[in-house]
Amino acid sequence: MRFAAILDGTTGAAARQAQALDGFLREGLSGDLAGETLVFYQDDRDKTRLVESAPTRAVRLIKTTVRRPERLVEVLAAVARDEEISLFLFAGGPAGTELATRLAHRAGGAVLTDALSIAAGTGHLLCRKNTYSAHLVGRFELSGGPSCVTIDASWNDGPKPELAEHDVLSDTDETGGPDGAPFEDVELVDLPSSGDLAEGRFLVVAGYGAGNREGVERISKAARRMGAAFGVSRPVAMNAWAPMDRLLGVSGTRAAPDLCIVVGASGAPAFYWGIEKAAFIVALDTDEHAPIVRNADAVVIDDGVAIIEELAQIIAAASERD
Amino acid sequence: MSSLRILVSFKVTPDFEALREADWLAGAEDDAAEDAAHGVETRYVRRVLNCFDESALEMALRLADARAQRGSATSLGALSVGGKETEPYLKTLLALGYERAARVEPEAALDFAPAVVASLIAGYVRQVDHSDLLLLGCRSGPGDSGTVPFLLAEALGWPCLTQVLEVEPLPDDRVRVACLVDDGLRRVTLRLPCVLAVGNAVVSQLRVPTLTDRLARKHAPIDVLSGADLGVDIAGDLRRETCVLTGLETIDRARRGVIVGGATPAAKAHALFAAHLKDLVEKL
Repeated sequence: MRFAAILDGTTGAAARQAQALDGFLREGLSGDLAGETLVFYQDDRDKTRLVESAPTRAVRLIKTTVRRPERLVEVLAAVARDEEISLFLFAGGPAGTELATRLAHRAGGAVLTDALSIAAGTGHLLCRKNTYSAHLVGRFELSGGPSCVTIDASWNDGPKPELAEHDVLSDTDETGGPDGAPFEDVELVDLPSSGDLAEGRFLVVAGYGAGNREGVERISKAARRMGAAFGVSRPVAMNAWAPMDRLLGVSGTRAAPDLCIVVGASGAPAFYWGIEKAAFIVALDTDEHAPIVRNADAVVIDDGVAIIEELAQIIAAASERD
Repeated sequence: MSSLRILVSFKVTPDFEALREADWLAGAEDDAAEDAAHGVETRYVRRVLNCFDESALEMALRLADARAQRGSATSLGALSVGGKETEPYLKTLLALGYERAARVEPEAALDFAPAVVASLIAGYVRQVDHSDLLLLGCRSGPGDSGTVPFLLAEALGWPCLTQVLEVEPLPDDRVRVACLVDDGLRRVTLRLPCVLAVGNAVVSQLRVPTLTDRLARKHAPIDVLSGADLGVDIAGDLRRETCVLTGLETIDRARRGVIVGGATPAAKAHALFAAHLKDLVEKL
């Protein structure tokens, strides 16, 4: 079976896409599959960098002018029509979901988003992905035309690709094509960075058990005092006790700190997905039956806000001594 | 555009957080049996609005409010592909000012059939509602595919934005939208008709109707349609699905869960630090 990994070099997220695709191709994909990377680019100056980051040795470059998924889908649909490609693989995220879904629709193939793994069978693909808000993993069989699959965000935090050699098989110009972008006055704004959440080594998380906005603020203050990044579970953000950009979990950021202290979050799977890569998890909770108790390394059953404030004092005092 | 027709499509789901551990295990085990109907027993669990759909429903009300301030009329409609469990929500929406309320009887389990759901919604938009703007949540459980908005866009031939955080009406037939993209926040203006799929918006809770409003709209009708009414062969489309759920697995997340004791919160904090955190914190 042949696959094509799609690297969209027209967005600022290309490096992360390459990293996720590379990790997935090495560890998430199994079976008799060989493939290449289709790299979209706008600016000739980006070509070398994009080719070097490609997760396969074989690379095909495709030049496009507008940053518009519609155009990318048209180009990919033509590839799907002309070539025997069984799997189009996209990095996770809004753009990957759009490309995979629209391409599957046009090429008469199957679409699956956020794959944890793909195994190639005879005439079909077997994929695993989180379902029921990450309570269970579902196994899916994909058949029909080309399968269009995006990979789970858990593949985003792998090591950087290290493939030494690349063969550029072709470089085609698709800058012509029909225009008619439906969007006007497009403006890309940098988000207030939540990079500290995704990349911080020490993370403190407030859950609904904080009780109210004041409780959340006390936890946030304790986190600052300990030099930890601060995140929240969905109910906290939904109640506007903290900004949405602090949200951890399936619909927010996924973190992989060395130490994560969870205060008053029950540990629902949709939230837990956001912290499951933490090397060491501490749960501070009043409910000894909460799922987080089983899914943490160390647990204190008590008022989490009081404990985290005590801890902040102890850790601050310890670092002053150092 | 004088009167804007907005349709919000929403899903009522079981509250997955209210299921017991044993139910998840049973769901995965039943599934291992041959010919088992795939899925987890959720009938006894309370129902909730899919959180992203709830944002979309409130956003549509705010869009209508903003347009009303400028003297522009808006007609709101709500649609759910779902059984009778959706009717209390449709009644609430009617009380909140939604003029049209409809549900499509699913006839079969469509939790893992986004293409069928999208065909039904698209059929309703084209044949019944003739909407200018379609709002819905960017994804919903248990399938969590996030593909329905784009399948709708393909079926209708409309542009689509996902992870929408804000929508602002412009004086003509355009809207200004803020949405999350892979490398930041994008603000764009787009012309209607279009599909907007709402993500983690700040507007996240649906307002509550007054008792007076509820009573006033008590007898407002809810249209119930079938797949056939919308030209969709649900059973046939399900057989032709190219992505089929074949089984479910539990996820083992258990860690050691060592309970740290102590007489007071301060004593517990000291014990936790000494036994588990001191070395870790020093290395950070």
